[in-house]
Amino acid sequence: MSFDVTSRADQVVTINIGEALDFRNASEFKTLCEEEVQEGGRHFVLDFSGTGILDSTGLGAIFSLYRKVSPEDGEVVFAAVSKPVKVVVQLTRTYKVFQQFDDEAEARAALVEEGGATSSPSPERA
Amino acid sequence: MAAPALPSDPSSDNQHSVLIVEDEHALRRVLEYRLGGKYEVHTAAHGQEALEVISEHPPDLIVSDIMMPHMDGFALQEALQDDKNTRAIPFIFLTAKSDDDSRLEGLRQGVDDYITKPFDTDQLLGRIDRLVERAETFRSHLDAELGQDFSERLMPRSLPEPPGWRTFFVSRPHDQGGGDLFAWEEPEPGVFFLTVGDVMGKGLQAKFYAYTFLSYIRGTIHTMLAETSSPAALMERVNEMLLSDQVVEDTFASLLMARWDATEGTVTYANAGHSRPLLLSEKEESRIVKESDLVLGLKEGAAFHNYTFSMNGEDALVLYTDGLTEQRLESGRMIGEQGVLQIAAEARTAREPLANILRAIEPSTQHGDFDDDILMFWLQRAEE
Repeated sequence: MSFDVTSRADQVVTINIGEALDFRNASEFKTLCEEEVQEGGRHFVLDFSGTGILDSTGLGAIFSLYRKVSPEDGEVVFAAVSKPVKVVVQLTRTYKVFQQFDDEAEARAALVEEGGATSSPSPERA
Repeated sequence: MAAPALPSDPSSDNQHSVLIVEDEHALRRVLEYRLGGKYEVHTAAHGQEALEVISEHPPDLIVSDIMMPHMDGFALQEALQDDKNTRAIPFIFLTAKSDDDSRLEGLRQGVDDYITKPFDTDQLLGRIDRLVERAETFRSHLDAELGQDFSERLMPRSLPEPPGWRTFFVSRPHDQGGGDLFAWEEPEPGVFFLTVGDVMGKGLQAKFYAYTFLSYIRGTIHTMLAETSSPAALMERVNEMLLSDQVVEDTFASLLMARWDATEGTVTYANAGHSRPLLLSEKEESRIVKESDLVLGLKEGAAFHNYTFSMNGEDALVLYTDGLTEQRLESGRMIGEQGVLQIAAEARTAREPLANILRAIEPSTQHGDFDDDILMFWLQRAEE
């Protein structure tokens, strides 16, 4: 299982999560994110269309990404959140931190509009 | 599947790596080629170079020639013996007939095998496979024992048993389980402070962090209970710790802290993204205790709130971890909160309610076994 960076346009990194993000591939995801952050990525769209499994290890990897970019005004937002992902996000109350959008295009548009790489307000304030 | 070793990553099932130390270029190439199909192969032309390679990529096994320029095989082997990080790496010597047998005898310690040149490559490959497998078996045994030990330390030795209440606890640690924890203390007679949590991640690593984390929580609760009885205030402190402490940095945990007043029959809790408790009511409809806040370790200054409810009649409260709700049924679907709520509500009047819950779920699991750690704590008012 591997992850695709589907776009880096407008300095917003879009990652397609695929079928599963769990203890089996979380470290791979973490490595990819670290590389993207090193290359200057600050704003991330995680595309969950078609994601059937997100476990706590996978969620932990997303949290690590958030911890890396948030001090530099970066953001992590979710697109096309599937039912199983919604359950985990609901339980951990992380919708307060990760804004959710209907699809990847909408998520990217929102990040670009908010100022893309230059500046961005806190995603929170539910 | 065996639990992973510290500090390697829980998800890695990487190839094993073999280092070949041989000054003869052609032989080095042949071995590299033959081993390359199965192992990640590094090479070095002499002992000095080998030490450099080892410090960058610690191998799972070393095959070394004896006679080499700069630093020979004996000197390399001695250097590795002196370092506790390299002492345990399986070591095979490639010896020529002309090598001094008595010298080999003297160095027997720390050398796992010899192969005399000229040698049969298949024979060498067979010995390498066996040694790597043996080391792997040993390591996974050790991991399983450590995991079991941590699991036991993360659980209580006894339960609170105030008059007029009954309590039950069950913990079924799983090899591939994570860092579930449960603790309680009685800061004043009849008042109990309960903590249930789950440190994110899987395997031994998660258990290790959970253990470190629980020690900290125990200390924090103990100290802070002198000044406050607010679970939310404690939660804020723990969150700040997770965000600032070097050791547990990048550790995330869901946690529920509850102050249970057994005399008044009230429970005040703060929930940081943890599995939501079940309130099983005698007279009203059983429900999920919904109010909760953000998971720990994610956001600085995150706010946590106290919520209070009272327990009447023969009401029961169930605290648990997500291994229960995420358990997959034969259908492939997870039981989920509603599924667990229904099963638990039916167990409310049972003599051994937690045993009933397990019995209700077990037959419908995929292999008659649970996928993850199962942890439940049950407290219930009892008519006297």
